[in-house]
Amino acid sequence: MSKALIIDDEQQMRRLLRMLLESRGYEVCEADEGQRGLQEAAFHRPDVVLLDLGLPGLGGLEVLKRLREWSDVPVLILSVRDQEATKVQALEIGADDYVTKPFGSAELLARLDVIQRRRGPRHTPEIIAGALKVDLLHHEAQIGDEALKLTPTEFALLKVLTEHAGRIVTQNQIVKQVWPGQSSDPSEGLRVHINHLRKKLGDRGVRIVNEPGIGYRLETE
Amino acid sequence: MNDPSKPRQTVPVHVVGQFSWGLTILFVLASLCWVLLPYTGSTFSALVFLLAIVLAGTRWNRGPVLAMGVVSALVWNFIFIPPRFTFHIEKPEDMVMFAMFFVVALSMGHLITKLRERESALERTHREQEQLQEAKHHAELAAEAERLHRTLLDSVSHELKTPITIIRTALDGLGTANPFAAEIDTATRRLQRIVENFLEITRVESDAVKPAPDWCEFLDVIHAATSPLQRELLPHPLRIIGAENLPLLKLDSRLLSQALANVLHNATQHAQAGSEIEIHAALTKEDTLEIRVRDHGPGLPPEMEERVFEKFARAPGSPAGGTGLGLAISRGLMRAMKGDISVRNHPEGGAEFRFSLPVKTRQP
Repeated sequence: MSKALIIDDEQQMRRLLRMLLESRGYEVCEADEGQRGLQEAAFHRPDVVLLDLGLPGLGGLEVLKRLREWSDVPVLILSVRDQEATKVQALEIGADDYVTKPFGSAELLARLDVIQRRRGPRHTPEIIAGALKVDLLHHEAQIGDEALKLTPTEFALLKVLTEHAGRIVTQNQIVKQVWPGQSSDPSEGLRVHINHLRKKLGDRGVRIVNEPGIGYRLETE
Repeated sequence: MNDPSKPRQTVPVHVVGQFSWGLTILFVLASLCWVLLPYTGSTFSALVFLLAIVLAGTRWNRGPVLAMGVVSALVWNFIFIPPRFTFHIEKPEDMVMFAMFFVVALSMGHLITKLRERESALERTHREQEQLQEAKHHAELAAEAERLHRTLLDSVSHELKTPITIIRTALDGLGTANPFAAEIDTATRRLQRIVENFLEITRVESDAVKPAPDWCEFLDVIHAATSPLQRELLPHPLRIIGAENLPLLKLDSRLLSQALANVLHNATQHAQAGSEIEIHAALTKEDTLEIRVRDHGPGLPPEMEERVFEKFARAPGSPAGGTGLGLAISRGLMRAMKGDISVRNHPEGGAEFRFSLPVKTRQP
């Protein structure tokens, strides 16, 4: 049974999330502010943390930063609209994904599933996401039975997105992995390669979805 | 004026005035001294002239003061140094006196005006600094006010949105199989839209919208605009024309998609279920992105073309539940991005909104 920690200052929100998560078999603990959240995280060792960005006192970002000093537990950010910059910051200091309030329960549960699935040690040189198969050994990718003809940059890009399949990857995170050491603003180049990659992926059940101001998410059917 | 490095200027009127006043005063003093000469001697008149020059130096420009120095030396020589009424000087001590007077008059005039100029320059700097301080203070106050405004807006936004979020999350858990729950769901979505519109118009009107352009694909903008409207767009087939041919565009996709979303929402409210909504996108020559959104509804009543973008403007016959803010927000957002939006009735029926936005482009 997975254990989830909810850190949110709204009591009703915590209660609702608890009901939702308990109905899906989670064991739930909760905290109403950041400091207590960190204590609970240390005490209960949750499998996943739901963290509200707009916490009073010790803010959500600060809680995340301190949590990441000793824990790599998957963290899902609960945010509101118009917090794009803060969301990006949170993702870059180690949050795994976010949902925007008001969120649907199906969306929330799906995100929780995806972020808990990550991080298993990889034993095969292949990453599979839906119909997409990326072979890291031979630097090949195929969708269904069809091999994709990719440039090295496109392959690197697809690799990053597939490793994070279903999860958001910020623009900076992509750039750091695809063009390590690059200092100039590469957003233009990134868009160009994404555009090419999208054309090659076509309409075969694997999509690269853009989330304005944040980054990209590889979605599979 | 006496600074040769400066471009030559016409002599200001007050300086001309000072020259004539200087000469007048010298004339009056010379006459006075002439009258008093039998009782005082010529040295007295020299001191009177020097005094006049010093006093003039404390108020007037250097030019007139130096001129007074020169003129008074000549007058003194002409009238008071024997032989009188000639510039000729006989006695060597008078010659020395004259030379000394000349030097003293000129240097006094020079030094005093210089001192005064320096003082006034200092004062000017001081005043400028004060003005600068004041401007800085004003700017700080304005920044503080803006920050407060933002904080207030953020906290109001939080307070209004949190209960809506809770209701929607709770409803989501409840499911909308129960028709009463379905009604609550519809009302809550409506409430959410109203609250978001009110907050957004406040942001737009207080210039709190700061565009952050970045490269993007146009289809991503459309996706971002339509995904929150899935439910409303369900009865309206969407036809997107021209988007595939567009290059990469540099624009704030969040703001543009929001402006588009409001117009699309407006179309779904006025056009009959089942009717198509078309989005045409094209680049015009001057690197301007033009988007036209056309519905097949009844179009706008006459003379509403401009008024629809006003706050709370509602066309007669609009369905209940709108705030009359959506299109005002769209216009505010487009203008914040240096673009604009207009509307007309399409010759073949339906309303056609036209967005134009200056963009940078790049062929992928």
